[in-house]
Amino acid sequence: MIEMKDISKVYENGVVALDHINVSIDKGEFVFIVGASGAGKSTFIRLLFREVLPSSGALIVNGQDVVNMEHGDVPYLRRGLGVIFQDFRLLPDKTVFENVAFAMQVIEAPRRRIQHSVNSVLDIVGLREKYSCFPSQLSGGEQQRVAIARAIVNSPALVIADEPTGNLDPDTSWEIMDIFKKINGGGTTIVMATHDKEIVDIMKKRVIAIEDGHIVRDEAQGAYGYEN
Amino acid sequence: MKIRTSEYIITEVFHSLKRNSWMAFASVGTVAVSLFVFGMFLIIVMNMNRMAVSLESQVEISVYLEDRLTDSEIKAIDKKINEMNGVNSVTFTDKIKALDIFKERLGDQKFLLDAIEGENPLPNSFTVKVVNPSLVKTTAIAINDFEGVETVKYGQDVVEHLFDITRLIRLFGIVLMILLAGATLFIISNTIRLTVFARRTEVAIMKYVGATDWFIRWPFMLEGIVLGAMGGTVAFIALRIAYNMIVAKIYDTIAFFPLIPTYPFMTYISIIIVCCGIVIGAVGSVISLKRFLKA
Repeated sequence: MIEMKDISKVYENGVVALDHINVSIDKGEFVFIVGASGAGKSTFIRLLFREVLPSSGALIVNGQDVVNMEHGDVPYLRRGLGVIFQDFRLLPDKTVFENVAFAMQVIEAPRRRIQHSVNSVLDIVGLREKYSCFPSQLSGGEQQRVAIARAIVNSPALVIADEPTGNLDPDTSWEIMDIFKKINGGGTTIVMATHDKEIVDIMKKRVIAIEDGHIVRDEAQGAYGYEN
Repeated sequence: MKIRTSEYIITEVFHSLKRNSWMAFASVGTVAVSLFVFGMFLIIVMNMNRMAVSLESQVEISVYLEDRLTDSEIKAIDKKINEMNGVNSVTFTDKIKALDIFKERLGDQKFLLDAIEGENPLPNSFTVKVVNPSLVKTTAIAINDFEGVETVKYGQDVVEHLFDITRLIRLFGIVLMILLAGATLFIISNTIRLTVFARRTEVAIMKYVGATDWFIRWPFMLEGIVLGAMGGTVAFIALRIAYNMIVAKIYDTIAFFPLIPTYPFMTYISIIIVCCGIVIGAVGSVISLKRFLKA
């Protein structure tokens, strides 16, 4: 699913975010990316959906060569991915239904399919009844669930999440993680950057730890490994 | 583009205009003011051009004939000139009438003519007008070669100067128009940049979920077009009122001033102004979006 070979990223201000990284992630895996702030986690995540380009190295995501991709092909790469952020990034003047449907309108899906798919993902995240609410009428956890619904509505092969529980209390975080588990159970690959020690330790999934731009640990059923 | 996508785009534009109605109002105002200034200059330049044309068309050729010619020879020359390409009118002035005109022009000083004592020194002449001022020179030279023509005058220096001046007016007008169009485009793309900036999260989300650049661009472009067309319409209405007032005022004081009549001139102006608004709105929004679509 993800093939990273000798990837480095040096920003224009000279900061080395990633230094010769090699990672291979298979289809259906659930991977945590851990590390201190500024260790390169965020850069790692953003490379995957081509928000940033690597300075050197090769990167294949979902069968597509991310590095040598034409600008016009980037949207098609992203249609095969679902992206979730710490700050939800919902459109405040659209309802729950519209926010999720938006991801399908953008790829010009037929209306009937939009109706059907949006309702079914809202079922998955448990927000079917709140379809007509606006984001401001929802709790943080509910907003993140809308964002997850939007990310998976086009049935992506890979879901990328950048600190999805960073703004949520522990109980709500677990509700969110249950949804991710459900999605992963359906065969979707999940790559998640997180600071949440408890979640990583209990989930016992593959953990990749990044420090100063290097991978210092890559364990199949790892633990967070740092003190919070 | 699919029909459901155009539906989506139209609803987006409608919602966006409603949601950002103050911003839309400001944009329309900016477009209107810029296009009003642009239109005002356009009207002035076009009027200046018309004045230049009317001056040019007043240029005549004077053909002086030899005294020995008989009436039938004079008629033959008249016919020959009339048959020339581009000649509009030929008027004959005989030497007696020419002297009368000369006396009249001398006024109080016509006693000067006493010196020549009954002898009429003035020749018979034709006054020739051509359809196009650029034909003056060639026509004059051709007539000069006619048998029985003494000399031909067309105010060479005056005509050359006049052409220089009119050419300058046109050049100045075109440069001015281009500069103003550029300035207007700049102002409008800046105003639209504000609306784009207000919606940058939306643009970012559209990119994350895999929208193509054109899919993102369309609603903004259409919004720019609507704002531009509205601004153009407001500007045109203001221009029409202003031009009517100016025309009325000038005709009150200088009746024969060669201003371009309101109709159909202002209809053309309105089409130009509204089209400019539309083009500027579309181009302006595409320019403003560029930065947000880069990554």
